[in-house]
Amino acid sequence: MSSDERTGLYVESTIIMTTVRVVAPFVLTFALFVMFHGADSPGGGFQGGVIAGSVVMMLAFAYGIDAAREWLDVRVVASLASGGVLTFAAIGLGTILLGGNFLEYHLYEQFISHAIAYGIELVELGIGGIVASVAIGLFFLLAAGFGHAVDAPEDES
Amino acid sequence: MTLSLIEAVLLVFVLGCAIGAAVLRDVLASLMAFAAYSLGISIIWVMLEAPDVGLTEAAVGAGIMTILFILALANTVRPQENGLFESISVRTVVLVGAFVVVMIATVPSLPAIGAEGAANPVVSGEVTQHYIDNAYADTEVHNAVTAVLAAYRGFDTLGEAVVVFSAGVAALTVLRQEVFA
Repeated sequence: MSSDERTGLYVESTIIMTTVRVVAPFVLTFALFVMFHGADSPGGGFQGGVIAGSVVMMLAFAYGIDAAREWLDVRVVASLASGGVLTFAAIGLGTILLGGNFLEYHLYEQFISHAIAYGIELVELGIGGIVASVAIGLFFLLAAGFGHAVDAPEDES
Repeated sequence: MTLSLIEAVLLVFVLGCAIGAAVLRDVLASLMAFAAYSLGISIIWVMLEAPDVGLTEAAVGAGIMTILFILALANTVRPQENGLFESISVRTVVLVGAFVVVMIATVPSLPAIGAEGAANPVVSGEVTQHYIDNAYADTEVHNAVTAVLAAYRGFDTLGEAVVVFSAGVAALTVLRQEVFA
């Protein structure tokens, strides 16, 4: 039995589906704008990530949580979260390898011009990936409910 | 300090929503009041010229938190209650009242909004001035908040990002799931 049936969360509505179909691309674009443009305007990885995560939640409300769960590959969510942490850590630790301090962006200047701006942009994207995937993950986990943990026989005890 | 009409209306709205979230008996109604409170606060942040905080409050407080709360509510039993408001015990009122008094007692020591010079250590402080003067030259970003977040205090931010990541892992562990779906 799917979680949608069990909780009666999903109501199929043409109005909601049509609205979400129109609005979702704009919201995702806005999320990316907030992430990329955080250097010059309010916003950044944390805010943009949450907005990007809310796109998936909107789709789930319109088309059902189970449909969204099938549509979204779990590997994408997991690799966004761990990839974000690894990106941030790699950029930070890379400068130490180059003989500087943690996150001393200008040491990358020898490989690429405007290294500071690009470095900050990458860090923001990494943060956005972490926040978006964890928000989506928490959403799906909560939607699945606590039935699995309670129903499953306790092997270890 | 004079309040503009919009500020006064917003403050009353936010206070009303906060009290509503505390005393409403129906959990869903209380949740809606909480979301409205977050939205009101986020507009206040923008009016106080803290758009980064406002954006976060609107996206996380009013958006994601509300959705997660509603999901949790949908997965639990919502008892049919009669009566609009929770019955409030005297002890709770005394405790919350004492807390509010302590909080309000700290307000006079804050600098006035828009105060300049020595009257406002937040603005005139050495660290703040250093960020404002050097942020663009050091980091090539116009938003000083981003400069502090991703460059000056980058190590702290890595910690924050790892905290978010750990929250996801902890949720997986507690709910005994292996994947985020």
